[in-house]
Amino acid sequence: MDNSGYMIEMRHITKRFPGLIANDDISLGIKKGEIFALLGENGAGKSTLMSVLFGMYEPDKGEIYIRGEKVKITSPRHATQLGIGMVHQHFCLVSNYTVAENIILGSEPKKRLLGIIPKVDIKKANADIAALSEKYGLKVDPTSVISDLNVSTQQRVEILKMLYRDAEILIFDEPTAVLTPQEIEYLLDIIRGLRDVGKTVIIITHKLEEIKLVADRCAVLNRGKLVDILDVASTSTSEMARLMVGHEVSFSSDKTEANPGETVLKVENLTVKGEMGHDAVKNVSFEIHSGEIFALAGVSGNGQNELADTIAGLRDCIAGKIILNGTDITNMPIRKRIEAGVAYIPEDRHNVGLVLNFPLRDNLALKRYYKADFSKHIVMDKKALSDNGNRLITEYDIRSSHGNSTITAAMSGGNQQKAIIARELDLKTPLIIFMQPTRGLDIGAISNIHKQIIAERDRGAAVLLISLELDEIMDCADTIGVIFDGQINRIAKASELTVNEVGRFMMGVTDGGESA
Amino acid sequence: MIETIIIDGLAFTLPMFIMAIGGIFSEKSGITNLALEGMQGFGAFFGALAAVLLMQNMDAASQIPYYVSFAAAMIGGILFSFVHIALCIKFKANQVISGVVVNILAAALTSFLTKRLNESLFSQPSNKFVLGTSARFSVPVLFDIPVVGAIFTNIYPFEIMIIIIAVIMWYVMYRTPFGMHLRACGDNPHAADAAGINVNRVRTIAIMISGGLSAIAGMSFAYSISANFSPDIYLGYGYLSIAAFIFGNWSILPTLGACLIFGFARSGGQALIQQLGMPSAFNDLVRILPYVLTLFLLIFFSRHNNAPRALGEIYDKGKR
Repeated sequence: MDNSGYMIEMRHITKRFPGLIANDDISLGIKKGEIFALLGENGAGKSTLMSVLFGMYEPDKGEIYIRGEKVKITSPRHATQLGIGMVHQHFCLVSNYTVAENIILGSEPKKRLLGIIPKVDIKKANADIAALSEKYGLKVDPTSVISDLNVSTQQRVEILKMLYRDAEILIFDEPTAVLTPQEIEYLLDIIRGLRDVGKTVIIITHKLEEIKLVADRCAVLNRGKLVDILDVASTSTSEMARLMVGHEVSFSSDKTEANPGETVLKVENLTVKGEMGHDAVKNVSFEIHSGEIFALAGVSGNGQNELADTIAGLRDCIAGKIILNGTDITNMPIRKRIEAGVAYIPEDRHNVGLVLNFPLRDNLALKRYYKADFSKHIVMDKKALSDNGNRLITEYDIRSSHGNSTITAAMSGGNQQKAIIARELDLKTPLIIFMQPTRGLDIGAISNIHKQIIAERDRGAAVLLISLELDEIMDCADTIGVIFDGQINRIAKASELTVNEVGRFMMGVTDGGESA
Repeated sequence: MIETIIIDGLAFTLPMFIMAIGGIFSEKSGITNLALEGMQGFGAFFGALAAVLLMQNMDAASQIPYYVSFAAAMIGGILFSFVHIALCIKFKANQVISGVVVNILAAALTSFLTKRLNESLFSQPSNKFVLGTSARFSVPVLFDIPVVGAIFTNIYPFEIMIIIIAVIMWYVMYRTPFGMHLRACGDNPHAADAAGINVNRVRTIAIMISGGLSAIAGMSFAYSISANFSPDIYLGYGYLSIAAFIFGNWSILPTLGACLIFGFARSGGQALIQQLGMPSAFNDLVRILPYVLTLFLLIFFSRHNNAPRALGEIYDKGKR
């Protein structure tokens, strides 16, 4: 028996994977009714540690105590029985089921027709879930189908799933990575509410501001080791960042004055239809010069994706022109466009940026493999591919377990992004489009990518940076454009705009903006 | 003539429908099932064997062999479905290839066994078990209604059996916890697993169901269209029922609609040939009608299809 008063206590947890130690002798205790954050960069071992707690991995060494009792958690099912629930980064929902069906799945309320025939009592389920969502302030309609819901609502369904099973320990894995700022605020409110009714909450994250906003205590992990456990209220964010990265981090990027030259990209009156058949981009015009970073700010879903896809050639426009260095590329096929000088770092790394089942070297040559340097007649030159791979791996510090032959799917998100950036920047094109280049990456990786973006500008490239992160826009931009509802409602020099003004334009407020 | 079309059409539609329901169970659980053809054939072989053995020792008018044969067919179909279960679930093989293997194996194995058994049991060198067609009945009063009455005329007993089983299967699929687990396994097996559902167990049961239901179809064909069990049972009706449930969007009721279209296309074509007094050789031409129809329906309906999301994916617990 243990009398430390901890809800959860993990002692000397060690978990090894081939080639690395994900958790190295970690010991920590979490109290009932607190919000405990696990902070660390990608690959620091946060998710592994929680997977151990949730029964997905068996630790090589160490012990776990829940409510003071020693337990050996063998499966997620077992964890659920112990009152542990987890919301994964990738939601685990049946897409064609209703909210209620998803929540009750596996522990359905049953009725017996004529006393024998089993039947799922969906009416009771709907009522129960409506009551539950009312109780915790989680707005969802039990009868709507999952595939019709946005991510934030789906996340609420995941939370309800845990609550329906009476979970007392709630683990959130990077819960805010997919949410908009407003949704994040709403979620953090919910999490505070859960703590206030006595639930124990663990948040895995690498976002310092969120920890500062909700967490009571915070454990910092670095390369599988526990660095420190901090009291959040009495620790500054820069101190947390230093512990997390292991060295001093500068939050602002050192950037020299822009030195714009000729016009490289000219977009004229561009109109693009979106998935739903509406005009996603409406009559948009702008120019980007060589040596200039044009940053497009906007709330998610205001036409950014469609605009970037259209310039890269993944989508057709219905009106307007795209001119690159004086050549009209509006209707040019993608390969010609690449050769004309368009590099594209897409938002969706897995589906657009990479072929996940290919080895790294093939992905690194994806836009050039057909050229004479990689192919002898119709046969690909494996050595040339390997050499090219090794060169980029060194130049861009891409880390993978088996060098250039690592299957890309097995790499971490940060390194996958590095691979895409390496491939695209190596094309040395006059125009580079960065779409959400730092999404889901940790601080160290983000500051690296920002440096690369600025270096490309200094080389003389025209850079289109599209981001949902206002900080990123303010840090990197020379010129800022704000897109709202498919229209660019403000273009100005970065030095002429404040964060608050950009934020206002992002919400579609145009009056009074002229004062800038 | 319309009466004939309805009577023959239903006699063909219903076996195909029950086989398609079997396919839906398997595919809704996430297992691609091309093995319906083989399972219906093997089931029919098993049932026919039981029937001929019983008929030897029984009164010719007895209906017992008929009903026993269906029970035996289901057992045979379920047994044979374990080939697909072993390949797809135990050995995690490609499900398309497994289905094709099951079909080829069934055709070869049953025709070999039929010949050997005929020689050793009845000392007859024959490749068929002769069953005769099943007795039929009409529902009093109702069959007198013009046109619609044809639905109640000359019914094979297996048609009633199929309708009852179909209703039960519909209920199981859409109203019971098991059905809910099954459909979840086909959409997101990880979610099902996380909810404490044993994905492989559910899928195993689903394939067994498809084996049992396909066997009912095979036995029905043996007792109606062909009047015996022979390698001729592998005419591709299994594949046709796959087409039917795909047009039916993996839902039971729309699949009934698709089966009806196929059934009436076939019986309508045959009636037409008789009406026009064409030589019986053209009967073979009529047999392709449902398949031609399949081609056209494929062109128009494919894009509205929503296959189960995890269909054909091998479920590996560790992989996320």
